[in-house]
Amino acid sequence: MIKPNAAARRSRPGKAERRPAKVAIRQIPSGVRGLDDILGGGIPEFSFNIIAGPPGSGKTTLAHQIAFANATAAKPVLFFTVLGEPAIKMLRYQQQYTFFDQSKLGKAIRFTNLADVVLDQDLNSVFEEIIKQVAAFKPAIVMVDSFRTVVRKAMSSESETAMQAFIQRLALYLTSWEATTFLVGEYGPDDMRDNPIFTVADGLFWLSQHVERNSVVRKMQILKVRGQDSVPGLHTVRITGSGLHAFSRTLGLERKKVHPARRRRLSMGIPELDKMMGGGVLEGDSLLIAGPSGTGKTALATQFIAAGLRSGEPAIMAIFEERPKGYADRADSFGLKLKKPLQQGKLEILYLRPLDLSVDETMQEILDAVDRVGAKRLVIDSLVSLEMALAPGFREDFRESLYRLIVALTGAGVTILSTVEVEDTFTGLSFSHYMISFLTDDVIRMRYVEIDGQLRKVMVVIKMRGGNHSKDIREYVITDKGVVVIHPRTTDYTGLITGIPTRTGPRQAQEDETPPEPKLKK
Amino acid sequence: MRDFAARLIAYEARAGNSSRTPAASGFPVIENLRPHLAVLMGITGFRALLSRALARAEAEVPWLRTVQVKADGSLAGFDEQAAQVDPEDAAEGGVALLAQLLELLATFIGENLTRRLMREIWPAVVLNDSTFEKSEKI
Repeated sequence: MIKPNAAARRSRPGKAERRPAKVAIRQIPSGVRGLDDILGGGIPEFSFNIIAGPPGSGKTTLAHQIAFANATAAKPVLFFTVLGEPAIKMLRYQQQYTFFDQSKLGKAIRFTNLADVVLDQDLNSVFEEIIKQVAAFKPAIVMVDSFRTVVRKAMSSESETAMQAFIQRLALYLTSWEATTFLVGEYGPDDMRDNPIFTVADGLFWLSQHVERNSVVRKMQILKVRGQDSVPGLHTVRITGSGLHAFSRTLGLERKKVHPARRRRLSMGIPELDKMMGGGVLEGDSLLIAGPSGTGKTALATQFIAAGLRSGEPAIMAIFEERPKGYADRADSFGLKLKKPLQQGKLEILYLRPLDLSVDETMQEILDAVDRVGAKRLVIDSLVSLEMALAPGFREDFRESLYRLIVALTGAGVTILSTVEVEDTFTGLSFSHYMISFLTDDVIRMRYVEIDGQLRKVMVVIKMRGGNHSKDIREYVITDKGVVVIHPRTTDYTGLITGIPTRTGPRQAQEDETPPEPKLKK
Repeated sequence: MRDFAARLIAYEARAGNSSRTPAASGFPVIENLRPHLAVLMGITGFRALLSRALARAEAEVPWLRTVQVKADGSLAGFDEQAAQVDPEDAAEGGVALLAQLLELLATFIGENLTRRLMREIWPAVVLNDSTFEKSEKI
């Protein structure tokens, strides 16, 4: 359960480099997914920690999660409850979490109520009672919830010096008894000034709730953790039936990088497009497909996935607007059979629609799915709907988060195709209002043009970082075979990218199209 | 829960932990519970729970109306009142009060945790794993 500190592991001296032996600080797991990475490996053993935050931010749940993750009969947890949530209610609610293991209560976790001592006696008596219980139970972890109530009561009758001495003695004693301590309290940022508890603490877990318009997002900040490198900044926290789940703001960046000696060209599933791209998209590239509604971005993305599946490359489709069944049905109508790979576990369609999602949660879902199926190709359809699924507070950080997602996955060798909806203007050719084209290796732009009284579609490869590509603007149609058919380049027009081209060649006789361009089998 | 309460009372009476008559042995069982529950929820918490249990039990056994919960969570007047009523009524008072207390505890923290707590306090009192019934295996 306990592991050596990552910093200690890194600093093993070589033969030539002899340093005085330094203490190896062991770490205990937090039991919270994502938190150990944020902390720099785990919680330092024998440290004296504060879990602070306003009511409802998840302090008690975090304390319980740490307790249940570590409690054994040999290394028990002593949980003091004071004047906060009554123990009977705490047990009532906390047992709803999946981490709450009733078999640990008693021998591995003991709950003791300190309220009567705190209310009726002085700080010395509180200290003596804690010591008495610690000496009797010999816990490896001590929790006090809520310590703030101990302090509040004491401050009404004791001097500041007495309070300081109490905290000092408590920290010293509990550390000497080889206990890792967590004091839980409803502290706000203003409480930190001149408060001895924050000076004495080795670790400071700060939980908060951020309100942005109608949505609320939980955050955690590790303000300090002595002896190891934690990830600075605010990290998103989600509380579900399995407790807290922390999402590091550097989530994904620590993933293993894959640098193949020679990157392959992957087929897009459309032979003419592959030719335009110099043989296909480079493995591990991030490709952006930009175009207005109805230009076939989703069809193209599905063909990209289907081509990968045919080559034995598992895939993930992260979708936000349509349900997975609708997607699979539509692919079927294009002749792209997705249902079988879905059943075989070679393809997962992630439907991520709930509002109030954080980018980090979305990223974690995608990263988990990529690991689960060993995905080589990923489609995000679309960036606009991904942004819409996020809580308003996260939309500001959208570009930064997208950068992390792309770097994390392409670094791991996954080829990403993202679609983005752009409004066609008739004066220019924009790629995306997110200004994200610099984050992607390759950009394909699809757009409508007016030709001979018809609204037709053209596509062009705007950029490919990995090599040369066709500069042609090619007209295409989407048929009921589900294939984007790209016609040979025409030189009869100029100004195609404005959407209102000018004819330069002779007018071709053509028949009216009846019925209009077929697109989808019902 | 009434059956379990009756079993606990009978167990305490058999164990001869007090000089009380078996009928009035509800009192020592609650006395025995008091320090254990006070560790978990504090004296104030235990007192609140016992007061509520007493209020519910009074509806079943009228003589309990004169019994009171003291500040330290102990019962005042239980023995005295039990001695003045019919032995069967006295026994019924003990069972009703204890059953209501355990019922309340189970309502708040669930039957599993309540059973676990009871096992810790009375390891010799056999309990089924999933109910408060006596295990058939033993």
